[in-house]
Amino acid sequence: MNTNTQSEHSTSDDPALGTVVVNLMKGVVYRDLNPDVWQQLEELHARVIDYVAVMGLNLIVDEAEGYAYLKQVSDEERSVPKLIARRPLSFPISLLCVLLRKKMVEQDAGGGEARLILTREQIVEMMRVFLPDRANEARLFDQIDTYINKVAEFGFLKKLNTNPPAWEVRRIIKALVDADWLADFNEKLKVYRDHAESSV
Amino acid sequence: MRTHPSWRLLQADSAPLIISFLYKSFILTNKRSIAAETLATQLDDYLHHLRETTGEKRFPRKGRDYLNDWASGEQGYLRKYYPAASVGDEPLFDLTPSTEKVIEWISGFEQKQFVGTESRLLTVFRLLSEIASDTETDPQQRIDRLEQEKAKLEQEIASLKSGHIMPHDPTRVKEKFLQAEDTARQLLSDFRQVEENFRHLDRDVRERITTASSGKGKMLDDIFSEQDAITESDQGRSFKAFWSWLMSRASQDELQATLEKVLALPEVQSLQHDELLSRIRFRLLEAGEKVNSTCAQLVEQLRRYLDDQAWLENRRIMEIVREIEQSAIAVRQSPPADKLFTTLSLNKPALEMPMSRGLFRPASRPVISETPEEGEADFDTTALYTQHYVDERALLARIRFALQSRPQISLAELVKLHPVEKGLSEVVAYLHIASESDHALVDSDSSEEIIWHDAQGRQKEAVMPVVIFTR
Repeated sequence: MNTNTQSEHSTSDDPALGTVVVNLMKGVVYRDLNPDVWQQLEELHARVIDYVAVMGLNLIVDEAEGYAYLKQVSDEERSVPKLIARRPLSFPISLLCVLLRKKMVEQDAGGGEARLILTREQIVEMMRVFLPDRANEARLFDQIDTYINKVAEFGFLKKLNTNPPAWEVRRIIKALVDADWLADFNEKLKVYRDHAESSV
Repeated sequence: MRTHPSWRLLQADSAPLIISFLYKSFILTNKRSIAAETLATQLDDYLHHLRETTGEKRFPRKGRDYLNDWASGEQGYLRKYYPAASVGDEPLFDLTPSTEKVIEWISGFEQKQFVGTESRLLTVFRLLSEIASDTETDPQQRIDRLEQEKAKLEQEIASLKSGHIMPHDPTRVKEKFLQAEDTARQLLSDFRQVEENFRHLDRDVRERITTASSGKGKMLDDIFSEQDAITESDQGRSFKAFWSWLMSRASQDELQATLEKVLALPEVQSLQHDELLSRIRFRLLEAGEKVNSTCAQLVEQLRRYLDDQAWLENRRIMEIVREIEQSAIAVRQSPPADKLFTTLSLNKPALEMPMSRGLFRPASRPVISETPEEGEADFDTTALYTQHYVDERALLARIRFALQSRPQISLAELVKLHPVEKGLSEVVAYLHIASESDHALVDSDSSEEIIWHDAQGRQKEAVMPVVIFTR
């Protein structure tokens, strides 16, 4: 980075920096979906890092996967109030995240297709093994739909404009549902299982 | 052999349908891939046509269902895939190489104009002698060969100089041209195989890496040696050479100039040939481009997959996921009921600015107290009332287009070629055209049935006098 150009511009009058930061504040920036912003991000990389650091945020750029997002600095010593909240997840929604993450690993190992795309039926099949038996199948479908919508809200699933509609699993799920998170979830579930089995 | 997709396709009950339809859609039009919706519509039309002409009730399902069937794992006649996100979300269909082979073989049933044996023999001979001279290590032998060729060329030049011009043999020209056409067609069809081979290479590399249980150092070694496995394979190199030849301006111009010269020959024009060779440049570019992008995409994905960190993480994830699945099955009938089982830190800062919320504003209830004056139209208001606008010029164009290949066409046939889009008003518009045209005949003595589908997909039909458009 050229330090001269940095001192020439004051932060507030550079529209490109604004564009990049605002896009990041709104969510994940993907190279394939937003090539212009991505390019600006690459050019302004160092300045974006400095800028978001003020708010206690870290810029994470994954070149290989082609996405960038902001992460809360985990440093306990800094007393900046947290901007990124931890979202509570119910058990079935967590489980759906786990299963989608698994699908992504399987897809990567299998090779070939660039995008992981699932139909509603595939997601239902994937989930129903783990849900309590219910006589009412329609209700089960509806319920899984609400889970899907919730996970789509997180940005892990994107509805495709196809007929019938299908869902694309976005690669950002790799960054957030990582091995550590899964290990944590696994522990919690084990504790619950022990508890449930002992109380029977 | 029984498990080979080509064999399975030939054995399939609906093989004639599949093969004829795919031939029509992909081979005749030379499409590399077709959007799912478009292909499904084409198949629906085709099935409709079959039912109409043969009265067969054999294919009751929707085109889309058949296509998905044909593309599903066990059949594998078609490849369904999603393009890169920047292109769009609609899935595409492409032929698999094995299906293309079947189609190619079957189209070979057609009697050839004539089968040239001489030019093939010469090609074989030329290839063999090229190999022999390329691999010759003894310099003297090579020099001898070149001397021989030189003597032959000099002889030819001398005979030309003395005014001896050998007339060319028309049979030989035709024969060579047909062979060139054949080779070009095969070349195009080979591209699907090339793409498939790239995908195979990709899968092989991944499989080897997933099953490798060696230590990290060894694995990294493997990774770096495999990094270029795709581009450095025989397949990759041959394709790269082809592509750089095609991309060079000079060779493109040369190809074009040669083609124009050859296509202008009277012998070639007397042959019944399709426009394949005259457009071969674009076809090659198109096909090559597709292979190129597939290859680039595979290399990119493979690099991502080979990232050692991701690889180790993936292994760990699969182990944990297996444990989670076991526990989840165990607690299946009494899952944790809490709304909050885990938390997830999302990638989006939560901003909520109090000032950006609107302040309370009483809803205004407008009351209309004045009565509007009735105005008078000073323009033609019919446009307001012709709600179902049917473009008669478009219909006329369809009629003209259909009449290019036949002396006359009935309305029913026309509607089969161009399905009715705007319902009854479109049919009426055709009738209107017929009544005003000198080149149309309305035969009220006999009647025919016109069928179309409305916006909800319901079938509608109208029985009306036979309408025939003529040139």
